[in-house]
Amino acid sequence: MDAVVKFTSQSQGRDRIFRATQYACALSIYLLRNNSERKNLVAKLKSLETNMSAGRKLFRLGNTVNSIEAAKRTMQLSDRVLCLCLTAANMNRALYFICDNVLWARSVGLIRDIDKERWSLNSSRCYFLSLVMSLARDVYVVLQLMTQRARDKHFRQKMELQLNESPEVAEAVVPHLDAFLFLLLESLKSHPAVALDTLKNICDLFIPLDRLGIYKSNAGVVGFCGLISSVIGIVTLAQPKLRLKP
Amino acid sequence: MDSWVRFNAQSQAKERVIRAAQYACTLLGYTLQKGGAAAELRKTVSQLEAHMSLSRKLLRLGNSVEALEAAKRAIHLSDSVLRLCLTIGHLNRAMYFACDNVLWAGKTGLVSKLDQHKWSQRSFRYYLFALILNLTRDVYELRLLIECEARYRAARSPPSPSPTLPTDHLLSPSTPDMLAWLRRQLHLLVTVLYSNPPLLLDLLKNSCDIFIPLDRLGIYPTGQGFVGACGLASSVLSILTMVHPWLKLKP
Repeated sequence: MDAVVKFTSQSQGRDRIFRATQYACALSIYLLRNNSERKNLVAKLKSLETNMSAGRKLFRLGNTVNSIEAAKRTMQLSDRVLCLCLTAANMNRALYFICDNVLWARSVGLIRDIDKERWSLNSSRCYFLSLVMSLARDVYVVLQLMTQRARDKHFRQKMELQLNESPEVAEAVVPHLDAFLFLLLESLKSHPAVALDTLKNICDLFIPLDRLGIYKSNAGVVGFCGLISSVIGIVTLAQPKLRLKP
Repeated sequence: MDSWVRFNAQSQAKERVIRAAQYACTLLGYTLQKGGAAAELRKTVSQLEAHMSLSRKLLRLGNSVEALEAAKRAIHLSDSVLRLCLTIGHLNRAMYFACDNVLWAGKTGLVSKLDQHKWSQRSFRYYLFALILNLTRDVYELRLLIECEARYRAARSPPSPSPTLPTDHLLSPSTPDMLAWLRRQLHLLVTVLYSNPPLLLDLLKNSCDIFIPLDRLGIYPTGQGFVGACGLASSVLSILTMVHPWLKLKP
């Protein structure tokens, strides 16, 4: 109980739980859409999803400042690639939050004559860019880990053993691919934080890809990916060891 | 900027800011009505207030657990009056949050056919009990501090042959004696409150807060404007205690 209280007392913890619920509702609505007996339940789920989304928009009102502060911090990183990727990601997130705040003001009626569709597309674009930069950072970190491992003598011995164990035809033809995959999987296994962050960003990517029309999936896929990424977000918040730093 | 980020990271802080905005909207709605503003503007303000109220209910979904945990901690206090007041106060708060959660479920349509008025009244009753217990605790602490201060003053100053000795006072209570005594008590009160800002803030906050359930339950109706002003004042005081943790009354 104490851990639950501590988790929910963080604003981010609550937001991630609400996000998980929102995408779970979206997924359930998609799965039940053709079920005529559950129309009442589908209506309730839709109402819940709308409420959660509206509430989350209100709670996100102060997050622009958070992102700008994060961008200021990442500008001071020593590694140039990390510095570039993270600062760009944070700045895009700040722009996304600004668009989101404008959309909130529109939805409560504070601002009337703005093009809701245009602002919504802009916010999706900013979110998409921030995810792309986060993924670029993940790829960079994974490549760094792989080169580090490849240089390690013990690891090379282990890899030789693994490759010589299974002399199937396909693997013999493409030894480099096999070695590469083995190196990749070993690096990811030894650093679960990177693996989780990469998976989270890939899942998150489907949401703006669908919204912008670049890769149209359906509401079910979006709901499922959103749910997975929210659950990973909750896990990384509950277990700070699994959080990728910086 | 950094302090804002830290402040914003607490879920309770966010809820307080939204509460301040909500009661500011209430106050604004009342002023606009009195000033005869356009119906469109008043509608926007009341819609904004309703949206904030519902979102705060969403944000408070887990607070019953926190209140129960606080009640569990309060049981171990040494002072019996404090123990009683705080434990029952926290339990009432937990019940208030539980009713609030039911109201949220009703408003979002999860629970159909909910008697919202009944549950709303119920939740305000629990809130009123919790506030009364908090005020009792404040008055108790104040009385202890005043007694302490009076004893300290009596010990510090030599006994003077003034006409305000307790026995004389009881035998022949005259108006100037009464006034002098009253003035002395008031001076003690002001000194104690001035030197204990956490107690003063908590007392002010609870006093402002109590007008809200009193109005909503119809016990002492004061009107939207007064309720809005009280709500806004208590939210601002609450935000102050969060920004400066030393201003929070402990336990």
